[in-house]
Amino acid sequence: MVRILLRFAEALVEQPITSQIILQYRVPINIITAHVNSKGGEILAEIPDEALDMTVKAFREKGVEVSIPKLIEVDAEECFSCGMCVSLCPLEAISIDTDGTVVFNREKCVGSTCSACVDACPARAIRSVKQLGTIVKAVSKKKT
Amino acid sequence: MEACILITEQSPRTLKEINEKIRKGEAQVLTAEEMKQLVESSGVEVAYKEVDVVTTGTFGAMCSSGAIINVGHSDPPMKIDHAWINDVPICHPGAAADLYIGATAMSETQPYEYGGGHVIEDLVNGKDVDLKATAYGTDCYPRTRLRTQITKDDLNQFYLLNFRNGYQRYNCAVNSRDETIYTYMGKLLPHCRNATFSGAGELNPLMNDPDYETIGLGTRIFLGGTQGYVIGEGTQHEAKSQNGTLMVRGDAKKMTAEFLQGAAFTRYGTSLYVGIGIPIPILNLGLAKKTAIRDEEIFTSVVDYGVPRRNRPKLRQVSYKELKSGSIVLDEKHVRVSSLSSLKVARKIASTLKEWIEKGEFLLTSPVETLPLDSVFKPMRETEATPFVANVMHAAVTCTESEPIKDIASRIVTRSVNHIVVIDGKGKIAGIVTSWDITRAMAEGRKALADVVSRRVVTAKPDDSLETASKRMAKHNISALPVINNEGAVLGIVTSEDVSKLLGK
Repeated sequence: MVRILLRFAEALVEQPITSQIILQYRVPINIITAHVNSKGGEILAEIPDEALDMTVKAFREKGVEVSIPKLIEVDAEECFSCGMCVSLCPLEAISIDTDGTVVFNREKCVGSTCSACVDACPARAIRSVKQLGTIVKAVSKKKT
Repeated sequence: MEACILITEQSPRTLKEINEKIRKGEAQVLTAEEMKQLVESSGVEVAYKEVDVVTTGTFGAMCSSGAIINVGHSDPPMKIDHAWINDVPICHPGAAADLYIGATAMSETQPYEYGGGHVIEDLVNGKDVDLKATAYGTDCYPRTRLRTQITKDDLNQFYLLNFRNGYQRYNCAVNSRDETIYTYMGKLLPHCRNATFSGAGELNPLMNDPDYETIGLGTRIFLGGTQGYVIGEGTQHEAKSQNGTLMVRGDAKKMTAEFLQGAAFTRYGTSLYVGIGIPIPILNLGLAKKTAIRDEEIFTSVVDYGVPRRNRPKLRQVSYKELKSGSIVLDEKHVRVSSLSSLKVARKIASTLKEWIEKGEFLLTSPVETLPLDSVFKPMRETEATPFVANVMHAAVTCTESEPIKDIASRIVTRSVNHIVVIDGKGKIAGIVTSWDITRAMAEGRKALADVVSRRVVTAKPDDSLETASKRMAKHNISALPVINNEGAVLGIVTSEDVSKLLGK
């Protein structure tokens, strides 16, 4: 799965673009977070690797700005579970379990679009990493 | 049997008796967390009867840490004057080949990311480090430059020598400013949107022996994964405010990086996370009672780090129980809390120390001298007063946006000022206009003040030092800063003339 970030300009907000693409291309788009109002919107969605090229192209053709955010990764070897990151995460994707271990929930994380935790880690155990390396590069280069 | 128990109940134990039990593998050892549960379930008398030693632990950023190393003599020998390890400047406070790696010294090539704490961690991990040194050369030590690769095995001595560790308790930090700040208490979001704290609370070594009955010079402890010693009170130690600290020493060659880790604090600097655990011998009923202290009985202050002063405002008292719950209440709002120290590692330290004692590998020592109870942490004596914005600011000449430009122009003349602060109906800052803005507006025939007001105003707070304020003026190439409070209400103005007048004195 690849996470893509969709930015809708004010003029596009009223249109059911995501639904149209899901129906037209039969691509299962899993919406992780969505912040949309009358001025525009931002959707973080997850799509299967094999549908990436097609889906990105489809959104761009409809005028949606598509980017592929980096994902946040926690190096469990480096992390000593202080918990500095916990209060910084706006999505509450980081928690501390009963034995004091800091637990990172990848599913809730929006990746490099936020990154609030990255520069706060004293152990430097949190990094933003590119998704899928080469595929992502190829898609990001294409401009419509 | 009955009589025996009666005697133990009444007479205090000696350390000798406890060590005898440890040697025989018969000592009853509990971690501080287990001790609290036992006291809660069975009462303090039973706990005193059953428990010989309570182990504690803490693992946090302890900036006043470092290591003394002796690198041996080069040939020809050199009286090292300046030294760097992995580009981190290393102190050379003594003779030719003795160096002190300070935890907070930052790499000259990777500042804020790599520092003395990381050098110590790398050495502990057995890594090769790059030593560079320069000297002025003497008759006995002619060499002036050297570069070599060394590991901890090449060092004659590698001792952790920390001068302030294991704070009994510490502040909880928040930030009232409207911008994120990066501090030694971590990343603090604006408008008190998060809080950070440090310390293990009920597991903290000094908190479990707050009268320092058993802790002092010569107390054997867990330090960085091996046995170390308390060598006295740490700097800034103050018993009466429950701000005790420790000075410790231990053989870093035997330490493990799990309990000694370099750390990087963005825009603040580097540090060292140090793991310390102290065994408390339960010599009397009083110590059994003291080691039963709970997080809800340990309080600290929520302090506003947004105010850059020595005496930062204290917003409320908070217990470690509330801090460890993950959120505290501030102004009727829930604020999420982060810990900077690791409770997980602190627990591991307490349980590791327990194991060592149970196995008879670690014997307790009696301090030669206990930590002082009367020392006071004084502020600096300053022979030259530092001016703050509050000391020089004066009343601002203000206007509202609805006033005609002509009125503003005449106010500039009658009050003989260059800056007029625009305020809203509630006295809060809405903008600023300068005599230049007004001159230009008149020249261009503009009538509405709204067209010439600068709305992105660079401001100062009364607690900013005048140095900070004047640097801000220089940075933005402006000559005055309206002074506002946290709510944006205009308190006055400070101008470049105020700064010059003060310098001219």
